Amino acid sequence: MLLVDIVLPGLVLGGMYALIALGLTLQYGVARIMNLSYGESLVAAAFGAFSLYSGLGLSPLAALLLAVPVAMVVNWLLYRFLLERLMRRSKDRGAQEIDSILVTFGVLFVIQGAMLVAFGGQYYSYSYLSIPLTIMGSTLAVNRLVALLFAALVGGAVYLALTRTRIGTAVRAIAVDANAARLVGIDVAALSGLAFAFGGGLVAVGGVLVSMFLTFNAAMGVIFTMKALVVVIMGGVGNVMGALVAGLLLGAVETAVARLVDPGLTLAATYALFLGVLLIRPTGLFGRAAS
Amino acid sequence: MTGPKRALLWCAGLALAAATVTYPLYANGYYLALGISVLYFTILATAWAMFSGPTRYISLATVAFFGLGAYTAAVLGETMPWPVVLLAAAGVGAFTAAITGLSTLRLSGIYFVIFSFGLAELIRQLVIWYEVNIHKSVGRYLFSAVTQDILYWQLLGLTAIVFLVGWLLGRSRYGLALRAIGADETAASHSGIDATRVKLGVFILSATFMAVTGAVMAPRWTYIDPAIAFNPTISFQVVIMALLGGAGSLFGPVLGVIPLVLLFEVLSATLPNHFSIVLGLIFVLIVMVLPNGVIGLFGTGRWRVPAGGPVAARAGTSDAPLLAVEGVSKSFSGLRAVDDVSFKVAPGEIVGIIGPNGSGKTTLLNTLSGALKPSSGTIRFGGTVLNGLRAHQIARLGLARTFQLVRVMPDLTVAENVAAAQLFSTSNGSSATASELLDLVGLGTVHAAPAGDLTYIDQKRLELARALALQPRLVLLDEWLAGLNPSELETGIALIAKLRDRGLTIIMVEHVMDAIRALCGHCIVMNAGCVIARGGPDEVLSDPKVVAAYLGDDDA
Repeated sequence: MLLVDIVLPGLVLGGMYALIALGLTLQYGVARIMNLSYGESLVAAAFGAFSLYSGLGLSPLAALLLAVPVAMVVNWLLYRFLLERLMRRSKDRGAQEIDSILVTFGVLFVIQGAMLVAFGGQYYSYSYLSIPLTIMGSTLAVNRLVALLFAALVGGAVYLALTRTRIGTAVRAIAVDANAARLVGIDVAALSGLAFAFGGGLVAVGGVLVSMFLTFNAAMGVIFTMKALVVVIMGGVGNVMGALVAGLLLGAVETAVARLVDPGLTLAATYALFLGVLLIRPTGLFGRAAS
Repeated sequence: MTGPKRALLWCAGLALAAATVTYPLYANGYYLALGISVLYFTILATAWAMFSGPTRYISLATVAFFGLGAYTAAVLGETMPWPVVLLAAAGVGAFTAAITGLSTLRLSGIYFVIFSFGLAELIRQLVIWYEVNIHKSVGRYLFSAVTQDILYWQLLGLTAIVFLVGWLLGRSRYGLALRAIGADETAASHSGIDATRVKLGVFILSATFMAVTGAVMAPRWTYIDPAIAFNPTISFQVVIMALLGGAGSLFGPVLGVIPLVLLFEVLSATLPNHFSIVLGLIFVLIVMVLPNGVIGLFGTGRWRVPAGGPVAARAGTSDAPLLAVEGVSKSFSGLRAVDDVSFKVAPGEIVGIIGPNGSGKTTLLNTLSGALKPSSGTIRFGGTVLNGLRAHQIARLGLARTFQLVRVMPDLTVAENVAAAQLFSTSNGSSATASELLDLVGLGTVHAAPAGDLTYIDQKRLELARALALQPRLVLLDEWLAGLNPSELETGIALIAKLRDRGLTIIMVEHVMDAIRALCGHCIVMNAGCVIARGGPDEVLSDPKVVAAYLGDDDA
């Protein structure tokens, strides 16, 4: 059935995008860092899962337990020793954003270069839980369903942590207005670092899950960065629900274009959708009106 | 920049020019290829900085235009004469830039960066799709008679043109206008600068150079496919080179191009596998250590400012109202911030708008100055209906304003802030120069200081001088006296009175009632978006409705 053929894979893909975008919205919305090396971190996590699985036979789900803490520490160090200096150097929000874009751009090349040296340019994939499963006449691999389930669990946990805990509330306060947050006794620098590290952890989750069912190579990080950005900007920066809806929407559009129009045009469709949203509603589908 | 330094730069430039023109005669193949790389990156980085330097719109779309130019050459190169091919490439680049620019240049900061990056990828994907599905082959061969020497000289000619155009642009009023937009776009458009058109024009200019460069370079490859022509690394390299050299000045980027092209050459020869790691590290280092580029080490290298033209306040001569506001309302979704407000202002009058915080005073001013469009009602200014006009058009008609939260252009000097407002002024009244205006507001001694370094009060003074530089007939002062100490307040009130005596009409939103009493002939009191009282200051301030609006009812 055509509709199910589009909706189900669209849901899986969209769930991944939403999860990945959630991390980026934490990094950008809270820590004010537009991290262009984001997709490279994701691919690095995918390579990590691949190495653990093919080398040690470790299941990707177990690899999460290793990948997430490592990614968090690395991202925290990156924030603490590189990015925080930029934040302090300039008080002007625009200059901070541009500096952070430029620096993470450099980081992008470093990570990508390191992966090229280690793995070369060819495509990688591995077979884990690739058992076909038929749902309503449409066939889907079990690994995709597991990935979707994990994405939903992690995403839900992050949403609850942000909305139901003291630290989550403080993090959201920083996203709204860092200066005001400082005035009510929130340690902005420490929590921004934490949010940045958490964003890094989420992208590692995304990378490991994606590696279970997609082929990847060292040079494709940019595609994930762009997709995460598309979702974040469509959903409205710092908006968790927005990222969820926009992620699912993007997944559905891509699957539909690949299925109905031409698989070669999926990336073009992503960019066209993105550019369209930027032009019509630069603050996102669910964002606040521009001030 | 001081005279000797400028002269030194010029001499160095001339010597370099002489050596570069004859370069193919003595350089062998390898060094000629290196020279070609230096030249094409110089053109790209200079063209990039022409737009992105002053506006601080970081564009990652360089390769989109470069690639389009190269593809144009690949498609037309074998059938058309070469000059036609170059013209076609320029046309394709300009056309694409015009379309994308029209729709995107209102995005700012991060959104523009991401957009420009997405644009390059989108164009690449579309070209690949077209080649695969329509042309049925991804690559194209281009055989032409262009030798390396000719290619070099073409690039050299283009380099000369890009520097000439950049130099002329920097000297023209568009150069300062572009920097004003980069510093504070809202303030710039309220100073009469058509931000959209200036940005679009320079964006197209810059993209045209990139496209022509792509076309000139095309014969070098013989075989062209999207991966070569639209290689995103080119966009990134251009950005680093321009930033390393200094994007804020004309000759900055070339200072970054030369060392980096040489470095990349050495790297790709010795460490081909680690190229992108080193590239990334250099990028990080440049941003961390040299935020203003190499040229920033030699001083600020500012672009020249055109001399200030004549400026003056003009006296109104007729009895007809200068400003007539009829039934103006402004709603933000459910909230009616301004509700059916009508009033008239006669020439030479000072009208005060008062009312509690949140009563809609600033929103009303915003509809007058074009920062907001009124939801309904009409605004007539000297016979012209202002509804639907944009901020810069209203400013050029002679309606100037200051902002409640001050907006100076922080990177520009005090004098440049005032000069920016004179760039597109169309009135031609009696004269007062920029320095006379600065003397008038008490900033006569700080012409050359960056406006961002001024104290809050001095920034307010500068805003007033900038408003006056538009040669306005009407000035809107939004709490211009707020935050002044008693003696500054006295000076401020005297200054406003002086402006009135020169014939300027003023609308002031103010909470300082002493100033209202001293200056205003007529007052409008607003509460919750509506006008609740009007008349002389003493009359309205004793009105029970006004007292209740400020202090609440007796039983409240």
